[in-house]
Amino acid sequence: MNVIEIENLTYSYPGESTPALTNISLKIKKGDFLAVIGNNGCGKSTFCKVLNGLIPHFIAGEFDGRVIVNGLDTTESNVGNLAYNVGYVYQDFENQIVRPTVLDDASFACMNYLIPDYKEKGMEALEQCGLSGKEKDYIWQLSGGQKHLLALAGAVSLQPDILILDEPIAQLDPRHADQIYEVLKELNEEFGKTIIVIEHHTEYIADYCKNVLLLKDGQVQWKLPVNEALGRVDELVECNIFPPQVTVAAHHMKVNGNLEKSIMLPTTINLGVKTFGEFVWNASFLKKEGIKGNRQKEKAVSFQDVKLSYHAVKGEDHIVFDHLNLDIYKGEKIALIGSNGAGKSTLMKLMIGLLRAKEGEVRLNGNNIKNIKVQQLSKQISFVYQNPEEMFIKDSIEADIAYAMQVREIKDWEMRTEELMRRFRLTELRKRDGRLLSGGQMRRASLAIGIALNPGILLLDEPTANLDIATRKEIMHTLNVMKDVTETVMIATHDMQLVSEWAERIIVLCQGNVVADGTRDEIFDNHKIIDMVGIRPPEIFLMGQAIDKKALCYTVDEFLQGFVRKGGKKYA
Amino acid sequence: MREKLSESIFDKLTMNFLRNQVLKNAYGNDDTVIAGLDPRILILWYLFFGIVPWFSGNVVFLMGCFILVSITTLLARIAGLVLLLFGIGVFSQTGYLFLATLLFGGDASSIVPLLVLTLKIATVSLASITVFSGLDPDRLSNGLMWYGCPERFSFSISYAYRMLPVLMEEFEGVLLSYRLRGNPPDCDTLKGKIRYLIYQVKIIIHAFYPLMLNTAKRSRTTVEALEIKGYRYAASKKEAKKVRLSTLKVSFDDFLFLAISFFWVSLIIFLSGYF
Amino acid sequence: MEMKKQQMITQSQKLMIFVLTMALYGLATLFTELIPKLQIGIVEFSVEYFLFIPLTLGILFDPISAALGAATGELVFSEIMLGQFGGLGELEKFITVTIGVYIAGRLVANPKNRKMVGIAAMTGVVVQQAMGMMVDILKVQFAVEDFESVAGLPQSVYATEGFAFLNDVLFSGILFCLLPTLFLVPKLYGKIEPLLGMQPRTEKTAIGRINVKVIIGSLAAFGVAIVSEFMAESGMELIDWEAGWAESKSAIAIAMMAAGALAVIILLVIRKNHNRKEA
Repeated sequence: MNVIEIENLTYSYPGESTPALTNISLKIKKGDFLAVIGNNGCGKSTFCKVLNGLIPHFIAGEFDGRVIVNGLDTTESNVGNLAYNVGYVYQDFENQIVRPTVLDDASFACMNYLIPDYKEKGMEALEQCGLSGKEKDYIWQLSGGQKHLLALAGAVSLQPDILILDEPIAQLDPRHADQIYEVLKELNEEFGKTIIVIEHHTEYIADYCKNVLLLKDGQVQWKLPVNEALGRVDELVECNIFPPQVTVAAHHMKVNGNLEKSIMLPTTINLGVKTFGEFVWNASFLKKEGIKGNRQKEKAVSFQDVKLSYHAVKGEDHIVFDHLNLDIYKGEKIALIGSNGAGKSTLMKLMIGLLRAKEGEVRLNGNNIKNIKVQQLSKQISFVYQNPEEMFIKDSIEADIAYAMQVREIKDWEMRTEELMRRFRLTELRKRDGRLLSGGQMRRASLAIGIALNPGILLLDEPTANLDIATRKEIMHTLNVMKDVTETVMIATHDMQLVSEWAERIIVLCQGNVVADGTRDEIFDNHKIIDMVGIRPPEIFLMGQAIDKKALCYTVDEFLQGFVRKGGKKYA
Repeated sequence: MREKLSESIFDKLTMNFLRNQVLKNAYGNDDTVIAGLDPRILILWYLFFGIVPWFSGNVVFLMGCFILVSITTLLARIAGLVLLLFGIGVFSQTGYLFLATLLFGGDASSIVPLLVLTLKIATVSLASITVFSGLDPDRLSNGLMWYGCPERFSFSISYAYRMLPVLMEEFEGVLLSYRLRGNPPDCDTLKGKIRYLIYQVKIIIHAFYPLMLNTAKRSRTTVEALEIKGYRYAASKKEAKKVRLSTLKVSFDDFLFLAISFFWVSLIIFLSGYF
Repeated sequence: MEMKKQQMITQSQKLMIFVLTMALYGLATLFTELIPKLQIGIVEFSVEYFLFIPLTLGILFDPISAALGAATGELVFSEIMLGQFGGLGELEKFITVTIGVYIAGRLVANPKNRKMVGIAAMTGVVVQQAMGMMVDILKVQFAVEDFESVAGLPQSVYATEGFAFLNDVLFSGILFCLLPTLFLVPKLYGKIEPLLGMQPRTEKTAIGRINVKVIIGSLAAFGVAIVSEFMAESGMELIDWEAGWAESKSAIAIAMMAAGALAVIILLVIRKNHNRKEA
């Protein structure tokens, strides 16, 4: 049975001449777990808003064609009726939570639609979404992952047959991301819900989804079963989507003749073990990375017995760091990893003097940070926020980049601004407001703002979160270029591909303690640490490990070089 | 020394501190005696102590009311900053009138009316602090709705409580950008201090430019979500109100609270007859 | 027809503007409430006035939604959340802020016209402050008995209120309303509207100039503010509390006390029994 049937749908936003969706015809079966993919601006979100009736009931525009959801024609039914059939979780889900406490928000929709046992319905939804026991909590007490689950519970509470989620795991660490998808899986399998996710983490698509829909320029390219879909590596890359690394590796092997042409490309590690069964790790490729000679160098930042706690609204203060000791040396390229709430952002805020240590001291280039004024700090150290929008305080990115230099009356600030804009390819966009740029452009602009004062130390919070393949590559490239420009760089991130490709030193934080500190081999090969902190190494690394425990390969290239076929047979 | 002091006060008055105090006031006292009372009873109680003192000129009666609302304020565990504000507010309201009266040739006879005025203002303020700060926001809005307050208004209260921490965080982020990248004037001399103050005010105003755009983005999602969740549907139905208010229940504690207040008021009315 | 449909402001867009203004102005007033006021002599340099926020939004978007949003935001964030709710006085502030912002918003047909934006911003402030002053004077008259007989009080109230009005208009009005509004409106124009899914306001789409209806409506609303205060005054004479107790009514007071005490005792007993039953 089809829960969604779309016939010749064409839609354009009010005042836009080109349609956002063009001639879409599609059928989605009941119980499907569908991933919608496509590059930025291909109409994914628009497509989903068509399904829940926000288009055309709430957002006007030119609407042509027919959309039948659970037997209801969306143009004839109202948003309220559709809400019983379709639940929607926004990408900026935080703004969709409108009530102060958890149970209240979960039961809000039921209450509005006059369901007498709305509290019970809310409780049921919370249970389905794994939030039991949190009913009385205030929203701000929840972690990012829990907020997302709550937004989901709010949508689930009316028990719609269809759930739509827009990028559900964009800013979550792997453990929380797994949690979300496990909940979705249960909703799909146990409760028979049809689930539609907009997702560009193809590893999760491979693990959880059943079918994949590719949109391009507002048109349906195809809808295929997940393994077949992810196997179309060239097409996906053309649309700026990263197929799983395992798939890419197998694809390359197929092209260069190491795998049979007819073979189905693997999409998960389990499937990969079968595909790569005849491959062995070439131990000669194994090169041990020595610890770089940084230890003799000058200290850039040093934490000495730092203790820090937050005032809690209720009850005892929350201790973040207790006797933290850590040295960062000049010239290091450090990745700071750990789960959400491990203290990564707090550590960075201590370094820029935004938070003061309760005990102990933080020294920056040898001076106690307490004795340096905040605005003088910014010449030595700079911080780029996780959310680039918060970096934009002026009405054009040109003004934003220039601002810090201009107010300090730095010589030739105009020229330097020009140069920065050229280097980050922003010259064309100079007059635009940062907030109105695309994700990648925003990120580039925020990096340019961050290094405008030429700081010796640069701190970046999640620079690659939420980016598609092209933008991510671009930011990686920019980060590599910046390696030469900025002496010391520290990145806090969940992106283990970034960590293993870029970092020279990795610091692992867990509940405010440094639990590991070393090179990527030392960290990723340490299973105790990995399990304790919940780090997920790059998929290709895990693939290598699954074949041979000794294998340490971090990129697809390394995998291709490091693994050879037994007997070395090639397929033509 | 003086500079040190002023600096430490400035340090204390950071956004973080303000945020903490406001949050404490909004969410930190949901388990007090006052917070457990029925909002309708409390609003009724407030109507008495918020209005009646205005009509009385009797010092004993006013003093009695003042003592009662002081006790309820203590019971509601109000955040320190709010109490401080209350103190400043009362002092500045009558303090300036008092000075002005002296300036225009008043004498001691104007002090008694001003004492009465001070007690009135203090009592009414404390009564409102007890009810509006002491009550859980959601219960408060339910109570107001029961008395026929427009739905939009009671929604605004809950929504404000929900959004407050989010907005503050965002505001703090923008101000932080200015702090890190800006270059405020030195504040060593008096002239520098004034320049610094002007700079700060300017920054706060400028900060609203990004804030307006960011909040605009948010409110769009919020309103779309409200639409899906049937907020407007409920606003047009009478039954929705009933469903929502069905959680309100008057308990023994509420009657007890009313009875004690009633007893106290009668006592002071009795006493006020003699003094 | 199609064109007209696009330009019309829908109910939900109004709600967006309301929510936006409420959140922003509420936040601003929350802080201004917390920032201590600088008093030099009787001149008060308060940063109290962040009216530029609703003024800007009222000029760019639907004026009535912005006006109501601002008034609600102030009431909810700074008065109720901080427990500074002052009863009747808040109604007056609510109404004057609404009228001020609404009139300013209606004055501007084209936000690109800087002169008009400036005039509107100042008009909004003056209207709001003038109404506030009138009500303030009346309020002191109610609160202090024998207002006229206290030596020097009436003059001092008129003088301080009049001065405060001028001070607010010239100081806060120019610095915190006129200049920021002039700064923000052109910067936001054309940028903020698409975020809410709306078209920027132009001469064609403006809802028309201020007409008699607006003025009458505003006056009526202001009337409500004043009437509520006058009702309070007449009520004071009717109830006449003091005279009642000061004479021979202490018997009634004793009866009330006894009733109250009895009620407390009965309730305590009932509660105790109830608790025992539950345990």
